[in-house]
Amino acid sequence: MPRVILTGSIQQHVGGLGAVDVDGDTAGAVVSALEAAYPPLRGWVVDERGALRLHVKLFLHGKAVGLNAVLGRDDELHIVAAISGG
Amino acid sequence: MGELLVGTRKGLFVLRKPPGGGAKGEFEIVARAFPGEVVEFAMRDRRGGRYLAGVTHGQFGPHLFYADNPAGAWQQAEGPAFPTSLNAAVERIWVIEPGVGDGELWCGVAPAALFRSGDGGKTWALVQALWDVPERAQWNPGAGGMCLNSICPWPGDHNRLAVSISAGGVWLTDDGGNSWRRGVKGLVPRYLPEEARHDTHAHCVHHIERAPQQPSTLYMQFHSGIYRSDDAGESWIDIGTDRGLPSDFGFPLAIDVHDPNRAFVIPLTSDMDRVMPGGKVRVYETRDRGGSWRALEEGLPQSKAYLTVLRQAFCTDGANPLGLYFGVQSGEVFGSANGGRSWRTIAARLPPVVSMRCA
Repeated sequence: MPRVILTGSIQQHVGGLGAVDVDGDTAGAVVSALEAAYPPLRGWVVDERGALRLHVKLFLHGKAVGLNAVLGRDDELHIVAAISGG
Repeated sequence: MGELLVGTRKGLFVLRKPPGGGAKGEFEIVARAFPGEVVEFAMRDRRGGRYLAGVTHGQFGPHLFYADNPAGAWQQAEGPAFPTSLNAAVERIWVIEPGVGDGELWCGVAPAALFRSGDGGKTWALVQALWDVPERAQWNPGAGGMCLNSICPWPGDHNRLAVSISAGGVWLTDDGGNSWRRGVKGLVPRYLPEEARHDTHAHCVHHIERAPQQPSTLYMQFHSGIYRSDDAGESWIDIGTDRGLPSDFGFPLAIDVHDPNRAFVIPLTSDMDRVMPGGKVRVYETRDRGGSWRALEEGLPQSKAYLTVLRQAFCTDGANPLGLYFGVQSGEVFGSANGGRSWRTIAARLPPVVSMRCA
């Protein structure tokens, strides 16, 4: 099944793990499954509308993708906080 | 005075007056939470002692947390969050206010919504009736977003509530939030052409407070003026024009919970220049319900101090004599332990202050 790589402060919401194997055939399905398995993560990657938060990026094979990206069984999906702040 | 909860752009700071007063009057920082994150609002529910904080992570959005000890672990609440059917998302948590019932709390957010908790802040539910008012389509956001910024329960009556919205006016309920009506009579939105003022819905209310000793009395800092209501928010009386104030523009407002005739504002020069007039830091007090105002300035900077104070960054401790505290965007916090007669700088080098409440 796909593997989700999490970095930074959202790791705290998945028990401190940096990588989690989660079943799903799209990025959106994987994020939903991750939220179901780790409820504190709800609202951190996508908002109530199911939209990816503005400053959160998903990467697959080195490219930024959206929630509709199709995932293969051995793919790694990276959830990354955009570089921003001040 | 116990603790002061200071929400800043880089976390929550808990300040406390040290034994013996401290060097130069500065308070100690006894705890810091949410480092690097914007703490929009933090308060302590004095009924049970729980601390609650609305925190906006720069990338991961707004969330509400609660704790029994601000120096310890904070738990994430469930909500406030919109039902998925509404296609809306919380942009920012603006205010958290204790209700009247056991465990009851209210939370105001952008985009101009009200949430209620019945379990001390652990879970939250949208007050659907306010979301559904048809006038919502005519509201506009202020520069800070379309915020529900003030919540005024009625002491002893959990059915009555007044809330204020920028820019959507004052809304009142007498049935626990199941129905709502506007309370804007008498407000003059000078920022609109005269011919557009009488039927507008764009009332930019910055802050309201209810006098608990006389709940039919409320005070308002409006975008263009300062007002008082004697009828629980149904109508408003101008108390800012030609009353000795350098400006009637500003954001926060505070009251003396023991005296319904006493309120405080911190004027800014204008909506085009949101700094303290003339470089002088002054709090203005009325003791006659807005009939007149006097400047409180002893111990506050009186030159070259072009400071900005935001609407949630001014509070009182409810003590007698009254303690008052405000923080500014340059990171200073000022406090008075004697009702504003004299002031001290109690913190000088914090991140930009967004909110402040006495615990």
